[in-house]
Amino acid sequence: MKKKAFDLSALTRSKITWAVVAEVLILLVCFIIRPDFFSISIQPTTGVLYGSLIDIVNRSAEISIIAMGMTLAIALGGTDLSVGALVAVSGAMALKLMRWDVLEYITPGDYSVKPFWMAILFPLITCTLMGLFNGFLIAKGGMQPFIATLILMVSGRGIAQILTDGKQFTTMYSPFRVIGQGNLGPIPMPIVIMAVVCICMGLFVRKTAFGTFVESVGVNRSASRLSGISSDAVIMIVYSITGFLSGIAGLIYSSRIMSNDSNNAGINYEMDAILAVVIGGTAMTGGKFSLVGTLIGSIIIRTIVTFVYYFGIVAEATMAFKALIIAVVIILQSEPVREYFARRSERRASLKKS
Amino acid sequence: METTRRKRQSLLSRIMNPKYIMVYATIGIFLIIYLFGAINYADKGFLTLRTLIISMFTENAYYGISAVGMTMVLITGGIDLSVGAVSSLTGMLIAYGVAKLGLHPLLCLAFALVIGVGLGALMGAAIHYLNVPPFIMTLTGMFLTRGVCSLISRESIEIHNDLIDALAGFKIYIKWWNEEGEWAKIKPICYINFNLLLFLIMIIIGTILLQKTRFGRNVYAIGGNEQSAKLMGLPVARTKILVYAFNGFCSVLAGFAYVLYVKSGWNLALQGGELEVITCAVIGGTLMTGGVGYMIGTLFGVLLKSAIPAIITFNGNLLSWWGKIATGALLLLFIFIQRVVVLYSDRKKQE
Repeated sequence: MKKKAFDLSALTRSKITWAVVAEVLILLVCFIIRPDFFSISIQPTTGVLYGSLIDIVNRSAEISIIAMGMTLAIALGGTDLSVGALVAVSGAMALKLMRWDVLEYITPGDYSVKPFWMAILFPLITCTLMGLFNGFLIAKGGMQPFIATLILMVSGRGIAQILTDGKQFTTMYSPFRVIGQGNLGPIPMPIVIMAVVCICMGLFVRKTAFGTFVESVGVNRSASRLSGISSDAVIMIVYSITGFLSGIAGLIYSSRIMSNDSNNAGINYEMDAILAVVIGGTAMTGGKFSLVGTLIGSIIIRTIVTFVYYFGIVAEATMAFKALIIAVVIILQSEPVREYFARRSERRASLKKS
Repeated sequence: METTRRKRQSLLSRIMNPKYIMVYATIGIFLIIYLFGAINYADKGFLTLRTLIISMFTENAYYGISAVGMTMVLITGGIDLSVGAVSSLTGMLIAYGVAKLGLHPLLCLAFALVIGVGLGALMGAAIHYLNVPPFIMTLTGMFLTRGVCSLISRESIEIHNDLIDALAGFKIYIKWWNEEGEWAKIKPICYINFNLLLFLIMIIIGTILLQKTRFGRNVYAIGGNEQSAKLMGLPVARTKILVYAFNGFCSVLAGFAYVLYVKSGWNLALQGGELEVITCAVIGGTLMTGGVGYMIGTLFGVLLKSAIPAIITFNGNLLSWWGKIATGALLLLFIFIQRVVVLYSDRKKQE
């Protein structure tokens, strides 16, 4: 009994709690309106799990993967605005390498001009290098992260278009289809990739000292440099990771539609990823971060979208619902409100004692 | 004698003030790009006043109008991502009101102004009182506004209205002699339309607000150091809320200018417009860290940004996507110049 009371006070102070509560509330509303919302079945023909919840997690894969990197960038006190553009670059490059020339393309089928590993590896390397460029500008150039990444955000889509000469390629190459539409056993492939990325990131951040380095640089960059942490290296590594993860997300996205769409691929992803991180309880000012919170945040965002689709509201109007829920979370997380709650619970505790 | 010399010196030093270096850089780079265009494409008519005014000013006037408010927000050290969405909402409200409800367009505009200014003030209040980062708060505002746009209508609505047509067709012709230089053969060579006029008026209003009023001084003080401004007893809360409200006002006017430009309302209009506007302000010499920025710089920032597409159009062989890459490169260049200027002035202060 005593332990429970202790837990409660810690819970109200934790930022993740509010995110979980919000997610549970949305799911409850879904359940009340549509009782079959939680049903998960196995599709008989393909043997893949099938249901709204699976769909939510599946579709949140891109944002979740990007948000993992974004969490670290935000924990450093920065942001990465270029992720959406990098998604477009990655997709364009993969399709470009798989379809060297439109004229050579005669019949749809298993068709790849360059070796397949190239079409996977090169986009990832390019995106990592672009992330490194961002990190270099921030660490060595001393720029504000917001502006430094704005450069690639503005020009990234241009680069993606130039790569494919402004054309939209499509492919029918089946190994490529596996990334976005395939499955590993009963689980859709994007979920598998997302799980692998999340576990790797979690291990990398919490089992090595890197997570602590990031928090330390995020709180005070010069102090951590003086205490022997190479701040510049930490910043460059974090932005490279973000670039690499956007590359993965770009491959998943383009594999879902089996084509490159430099205008619309990854549009507003930077916004969604930042929101996922903020909902997950990582402060924009840097310092402490929570990868679990981010994962919950990105699933919340996707749940809202699914929620809106389910009830036949205009698809673009999801943004308004996102905004409302985010506003609530922001207000609950904001300093004055949390201080107010903390003070009230303290007052109650002191009243009980007296 | 002594006094006049001192006066002259002070005038010179006032002109050479390091604060203005960014503005000079903007004007200088614009002149270089313009000269490049003039040398390469003079035979295609790049040098004419028509090119300068129509393809560089008029077609970007709505971004410029919004950039006036954005400059002010950036000077306070904040940012507003909702401008594109608010402009789009203005278009939707006017289009829906005029085409579907049969209201007078000015009434719709007034309603849009109330909403835009109200949303701006609300976001400013949340940023100040709840201590929410401006980036996140205005992002929420952007999502909300875009969502409301889509709730009004998903399809673009055409506007057929006499007043809108009249304003869109409003032109002040600039006349000049024809090549022979005869008085009798004066003919219009280009025109200034309503949008451009509105843009220039907003730039003048912005300059007066920033340079000549107490409010403007407060804006610079908050951007320089918000804590000190608060300790000095300046009305930080009121100023910040007013700045965001003014930005909302500018975005609504920008939306109105866009309506005059395309004569329709669309829920996805000006998507990504907020970044164009921020780019205009940044290459116009406004520091994103706050405290430095001038309206005249923003004016040239708009010119500079639109000079690149103009050159690409005149070249004719380049893909239009190079424009985006060139804009990115320009941003990079300007941020480096800003960095050097800040480092230089810091060193000077230490000495």
